[in-house]
Amino acid sequence: MNNPARASVLIYTGISLAAAFLFLLSTYATGISYPAVARIGGAVWVFILSMIITMPVVISYVNKRHI
Amino acid sequence: MKQASIPVEGMTCAACVARVERALKNTPGVTGAVVNLVTGKASVEYDPEKVSVEQLVKTIRELGYQVPTGEIHLTVRGMSCAACVARVERAVSGLPGVLNVTVSLPAEAARVTFYPGTVTPVRIKEAIAGLGYEVAEKATGREALDREKQARRQEIRRQARNMWIAWPLSLLVMLGMFRDVWILPRFVPEFIGNTLFLWALTTPVVFIAGWQFFVHSFNGLKKGATDMNLLYATGIGAAYIIATINTLWPGAGFGGKGATFFESAALLTAFIVLGRYLEALTRGRVSEAIRKLLNLQPKTARVIREGREMEIAALEVVPGDVVVVRPGESIPVDGRVIEGHSAVDESMITGESIPVEKKPGDEVIGATINKTGTFKFEATRVGRDTALARIIRLVEDAQATKAPVQRLADLVAGHFIAGVHVLALVVFLFWFFYGYHAFFRPDSHFILSPYSLAEVGVFGFALLLSVTTLVISCPCALGLATPSAMMAGTGKGAENGILFKGADAVEATAALQAVLFDKTGTITRGEPSLTDVIPAPGFTREELLSLAAAAEKNSEHPLGEAIVRGAEKAGVAVKEAEEFEAVPGHGIKARYQGRTILLGNRRLMEREGVAFETLLPSVKSLEQDGKTAMLLAVDGQATGVIAVADTIKEHVPQAIARLKKMGLQVIMITGDNRRTAEAIARQAGIEKVLADVLPQDKAEEVRKLQARGLRVAMVGDGINDAPALAAADVGMAIGTGTDIAKETGEVILIKADLRDVVSAIEIARATMRKVRQNLGWAFIYNSLGIPIAAGLLYPSTGLIVSPELAAFFMAMSSVSVTLNTLLLKRFIPSMKKEQQEPRGEAGQPLPSPALR
Repeated sequence: MNNPARASVLIYTGISLAAAFLFLLSTYATGISYPAVARIGGAVWVFILSMIITMPVVISYVNKRHI
Repeated sequence: MKQASIPVEGMTCAACVARVERALKNTPGVTGAVVNLVTGKASVEYDPEKVSVEQLVKTIRELGYQVPTGEIHLTVRGMSCAACVARVERAVSGLPGVLNVTVSLPAEAARVTFYPGTVTPVRIKEAIAGLGYEVAEKATGREALDREKQARRQEIRRQARNMWIAWPLSLLVMLGMFRDVWILPRFVPEFIGNTLFLWALTTPVVFIAGWQFFVHSFNGLKKGATDMNLLYATGIGAAYIIATINTLWPGAGFGGKGATFFESAALLTAFIVLGRYLEALTRGRVSEAIRKLLNLQPKTARVIREGREMEIAALEVVPGDVVVVRPGESIPVDGRVIEGHSAVDESMITGESIPVEKKPGDEVIGATINKTGTFKFEATRVGRDTALARIIRLVEDAQATKAPVQRLADLVAGHFIAGVHVLALVVFLFWFFYGYHAFFRPDSHFILSPYSLAEVGVFGFALLLSVTTLVISCPCALGLATPSAMMAGTGKGAENGILFKGADAVEATAALQAVLFDKTGTITRGEPSLTDVIPAPGFTREELLSLAAAAEKNSEHPLGEAIVRGAEKAGVAVKEAEEFEAVPGHGIKARYQGRTILLGNRRLMEREGVAFETLLPSVKSLEQDGKTAMLLAVDGQATGVIAVADTIKEHVPQAIARLKKMGLQVIMITGDNRRTAEAIARQAGIEKVLADVLPQDKAEEVRKLQARGLRVAMVGDGINDAPALAAADVGMAIGTGTDIAKETGEVILIKADLRDVVSAIEIARATMRKVRQNLGWAFIYNSLGIPIAAGLLYPSTGLIVSPELAAFFMAMSSVSVTLNTLLLKRFIPSMKKEQQEPRGEAGQPLPSPALR
């Protein structure tokens, strides 16, 4: 991909969405009956933290590769 | 493809041009290279994926040409922690052509070394501004002082405004949240406890006082960088959103009206703003040393031009101007006295508390204060060349450097933010999937709060612990620990006439185990002085001195001058001889008041037939002590012995004794013979002597000591000792007032007083003690705080840390580090204390200790 900024956005958003989705699946897999708000709220929180964690890593990785 | 214009120095002809062009074109990744001899530049078109600017520079340098580097000093505002420092350093060092970048958080400064032509200062500033920080080229002197003061005031005003918004509203919110507790229902009106009212109070706290955190973290995130503002923003944001949802949509399942954490969001903001406010207040004080120095610069000068006295701006004084200074006035620039006498207070530059007498021919230092008389001097150094300007530059440079211990702290702090978010995620997942179900109890409470968590559901509970972990983990104390102590330490050094050339010099000085002193000019005065006067029976000391001084009055020999000076110092009137004759290799022959005087060595006495056997034991004993003994005869009769030697400086024995008491090995090194060297060492109190060492071999002796595992300091005058100063772990160059432009040596002692060696080591040790205390405190805070915030105590106690308490701890950790550093300002080196105590004796003339 030519535009590193766009590539970065796609990568870290993708990873974060995947983490949130995985979290959502886990809430069903554990067998505990979580309220819907806890499932969605938790997924959103996991998404936010994943974005914060992956953003700097992905951006610097993609920039380095681009250079 | 990229284009770079690299400056090349050392090219003299077209052949050089062809050579550089060929070498560049042959470098893989270079598609074109054109070298211009006139402009001295190489324009290179290259593929940055295949070759870097550094490799191009290396290619040019390997051919024997130089590529000059440029340096830019920037002021960077808005950095709040070590993560910001790491961000700026990463962004700038990533620019092609940047060689080195050092960012100082407390000084709000960045120093960038780069290859001009490959990157511009504008591009560097853009890279920093792109991260969301304010950046400007560092101004110098008073302009910098004014700008810095203004920016500091603005920051204090801004944070004070935020405090005025956050604190009253947060206290009201807290009152509302706890209105059902204790006796509060009797005094607090019911509407204050209304969640909608609390929401209305919290919103301005979060969005006005706390807005700065959201803006900074968004700016950082846009560039893919995280800092502690993000921790605050996520913490405050999460608490506020949950509280708002529970207020406006209580049925949404976030814990309902019983779990509105408005006081968390409000107090979290209030405590962080309080921390910022206190930091803004105290941070400026750490860099006070520079400000004090800048304030010393006088604004005006009185000069004589076209035959009349006129007052002009001090900056307009040029070398050669004759400057008039009256009692009580500051000396505007450096110079040499040409007329008049006075005593000058040089304590602000040299740390010497007793005013120094000045007479024609003596040097005066700009910014010192004239005490007693009016005098005129010729300006020799002005503007950026004055001693004060150079001291300021040295201190500024030292404060912009990083000690090895700080690089490690910055590295840890730089990676900390990402680590903290990972930890927050782990904490959330643990409490969401396991902890809540395994350990939750209905009597759960926040530490130091009656607030019950009974109604909080699994999501609210896990989120609370996750947010608290984020807030408590902020590494700001870690980021401030070393640089703030280094700034205070180097400033303290400057106050005492000791200039550390960098933070690494402070660290190395603190770790010293052995001090090697050069003899001549360092331990001794470097010129002969009268030491002994031994009269033969029937003569007095005064008589002998008077005769010898009269005979030597017209002598230009250093030994003769020493005798005349010694006589004057002893209060003997020195008259002129009627006749004077130098006898080369023997001594002198003179006629005074009708008597024939002989003064010289044994050969002179033998030649003139003078019997001196009775005085021989005294002569031999003096020579044993490394002194030059001279026999005096009057009218053919031996009348006594006069000895002259290079004497040790005042206070040397105290300084040496103190160093030994501090556990340091003290060694003297000299090119002199062993007998003379040992005699001097005995007087100084030094047991270990390295004698007969040639100047070029001194460095080798330093290395031998280092090979034994010792960390060695070499103290010398910086001229013939340069190789040894460079070889030592710490080179201490002793100066004499204005002569501080020494290149060799990590530490410069402005005065030629060896007590400053002790002070330098004590200041360095005190600074490193502060660094260790600060780092220890930051480490303890984080290693205790994080597990407790993550809920370690909860299974056994049912207590968790509230986000606002976490914010309070976090703010206090950085404030306590800064306050601990400020204690260094009260530190007084031991020898300075001793100097200050016997003040009453200072004005009395000293007895002549040199004379027996």
